[in-house]
Amino acid sequence: MSIIRVSRASIGLALGLSAVSGAAYAQDCTTKIGAVLPTSVDWGRPIAETAQFAVDQVNAAGGAAGCQIEMVLRDTQVDPKVGVDAAKALVDLEGVKVLLGAVSSGVSMPILTSVTVPSGVMQMSCCSSSTAFTGLSEEGKTNGLWYRTFATTGVQSAVGAKVAADKGYKSIAILYKNDDWGQDMARLIAADFAAVGVEVTASVAINDAQPNYRAEVTDALSGQPEALYLALYPAEGTAAVREWLSLGGTQNMILANSLKSDEFRDNVGLQYLGSALGTDTASPRSESADAFRAAYQERFEAEPNGPGLANSYDAAMLALLAMEAAGKDASGADVAAAMSRVTDPAGTPVSADTAGFVAAKEVLAGGGTVMFQGATGDVRFDENGDVSAPAVIWSFSESGTEEIEYIPLSDVDAFIASLK
Amino acid sequence: MIGVISYLVFFATTASILAIAVLGLNLQWGNTGLFNGGVVAFFGAGAYATLILGGAAQAGHLGGYGIFYPLALLGGMVAAGLMAWIVGLLTLRLRHDYLAIATFGVAVAFENLMRNAEWLAGGAKGVRGFERPLRTALGDGFIYNLVFFVVVLLILILTYLFLQRLVVSPFGRLLRAIREDEEAAQSLGKNPARIRLIAFITGSVILGLAGGLYGTFYAFVSPQDVLPTLTFQIWAMLIVGGAGNNRGAIFGAFLIWGAWTASGWALSRFAPVEVQLYTGSVQFILIGSVIVGMLMWRPQGFLPERLVVSHKGKTKRKQHGEY
Repeated sequence: MSIIRVSRASIGLALGLSAVSGAAYAQDCTTKIGAVLPTSVDWGRPIAETAQFAVDQVNAAGGAAGCQIEMVLRDTQVDPKVGVDAAKALVDLEGVKVLLGAVSSGVSMPILTSVTVPSGVMQMSCCSSSTAFTGLSEEGKTNGLWYRTFATTGVQSAVGAKVAADKGYKSIAILYKNDDWGQDMARLIAADFAAVGVEVTASVAINDAQPNYRAEVTDALSGQPEALYLALYPAEGTAAVREWLSLGGTQNMILANSLKSDEFRDNVGLQYLGSALGTDTASPRSESADAFRAAYQERFEAEPNGPGLANSYDAAMLALLAMEAAGKDASGADVAAAMSRVTDPAGTPVSADTAGFVAAKEVLAGGGTVMFQGATGDVRFDENGDVSAPAVIWSFSESGTEEIEYIPLSDVDAFIASLK
Repeated sequence: MIGVISYLVFFATTASILAIAVLGLNLQWGNTGLFNGGVVAFFGAGAYATLILGGAAQAGHLGGYGIFYPLALLGGMVAAGLMAWIVGLLTLRLRHDYLAIATFGVAVAFENLMRNAEWLAGGAKGVRGFERPLRTALGDGFIYNLVFFVVVLLILILTYLFLQRLVVSPFGRLLRAIREDEEAAQSLGKNPARIRLIAFITGSVILGLAGGLYGTFYAFVSPQDVLPTLTFQIWAMLIVGGAGNNRGAIFGAFLIWGAWTASGWALSRFAPVEVQLYTGSVQFILIGSVIVGMLMWRPQGFLPERLVVSHKGKTKRKQHGEY
């Protein structure tokens, strides 16, 4: 048992040292939250680090709901069995009421159906993109316990359709990554293209790690489309686009945010990407996004460029804000219900850092509501726990990427509504 | 305290489901010597078929038949058996490593089919939202998990008893005869090809049963559940527990799954804060070392096969290697 005490003491010491502005609020109690993230995978570790970073900031602000926060982190190994078991252990053995995770939809889903919903624990994922969650929620099977900060593929696909319409393309082919994200993306964008009157000539799946994509690209070329839509990751995106261009395909391309990478630009060549336009969800035009960037750079000595980092930060921050709003010893359902008080469009805006959390505490203590301006935007959930976000249209430039057009959240929502 | 019990019930349920799968593999490998490298395909066939047959209606793919649960589970077993029959006809003439490669290929093909055929099983999104049987009567909490565990445990015991009975029967002796020397068995007028196929199908049906229970328990199955990792895990359980011994198979399942989960828990609990982020990788190293150590120092497993030559009224035990 002494080992537990030693590790607790060392955590307490570390927290004590990091407590700056919140020293006056210092308490002796500790509330645990759970995190199930794929830390054994290279891109999973930074996501976990960023979540811990948010927890540290909150602890520096004096903790949430009257207690310091300890994040208990478990690895999923991207294996559903392992992830579900870890989640169950966190809920039953550590008594967490809030669970962050997982990344893969195929892991988040069984956790949701077999652990968090039956146990009444709030689950908040940074990165699960599958539309299956929306479906489950619409059937009323999530009990309002599910949230995610990954703006649904709906925003991306709607803005992609807007680009095609604005450019006046009449026909388009789609290449998509053959996973849950890519399949969702292809289905949604095909519907959105149809809604704005652009004909889809072909929709072709691209599997990872093939030596070449000639068959797939030839298939996509056969309808002689005016433009090409790419929902791919940089590695196979590069290979597919090279093949596409060498076979005489058009340079009119629309890219999903997954291709917003220097690797893709350099390997394809900037001279071929002059007519390529990308879409992305955008950071808000607010100081809080800059505050997050600055704080992140100070802590990790790097830009927060990586899949899911900003989403992971917002997921942790929102979960803790909701805990604060729900008060001490709240149940998972209480915390989930309190989410609307911290993402209220009419609420007091708060920034994504320690100072913002301190400010939020005061407003919430007075019975008010706040609007969290996070690293991914003015986060706002719909009734299914899905998040919408402002969008941006970008293109490649000498130095990286540059913004062509910024579309505020209200315009995004209006455009999505017009498609239906 | 209730938390600990609740977790242990949950853990034991997963371990029992895996133990059923290991028993199925044990019939194929331990008793008959069939190297099934595609365990996950039959496990997955059971899981998918059970969920598609018994699940609630879902847009975009097959399913929503809402069949009475035991029948859906039976359907999962039939699906696994049918697949084993087809695969078996095609591949069972192959020996050892060739059979392993062929069945591994079947498993990869199965995963890719499930990932791509959206009309069939939802593609990469998986089959979701399966209504757990008796949910309305038992609620969602601890009682449900407890009842579910008891049911799984009963199925595990029944499977074990069935296989124990099978192994000591003349048919069981025939399986071992084929495993040790096929030509000798043939010279006694037996038909090894047919017997191998029967053993392969029976083992696969048991794998399908485990898959069906797995899908029911998680109320979800996706291509991520049928990755080759699961084949590896089930094999590791059988090898560590003791191939050829049904008790060893069950013991191995509990031991390996216990080590797998306990190491994750212990690392998250006791490892220093700065190591926390690396616990996932540390866990892989630990588990790998245990399996390597096991293969080096006790390759026959914790509970090795006991060869029993049965005569009426007199039972003589022989050590491994003496036959």
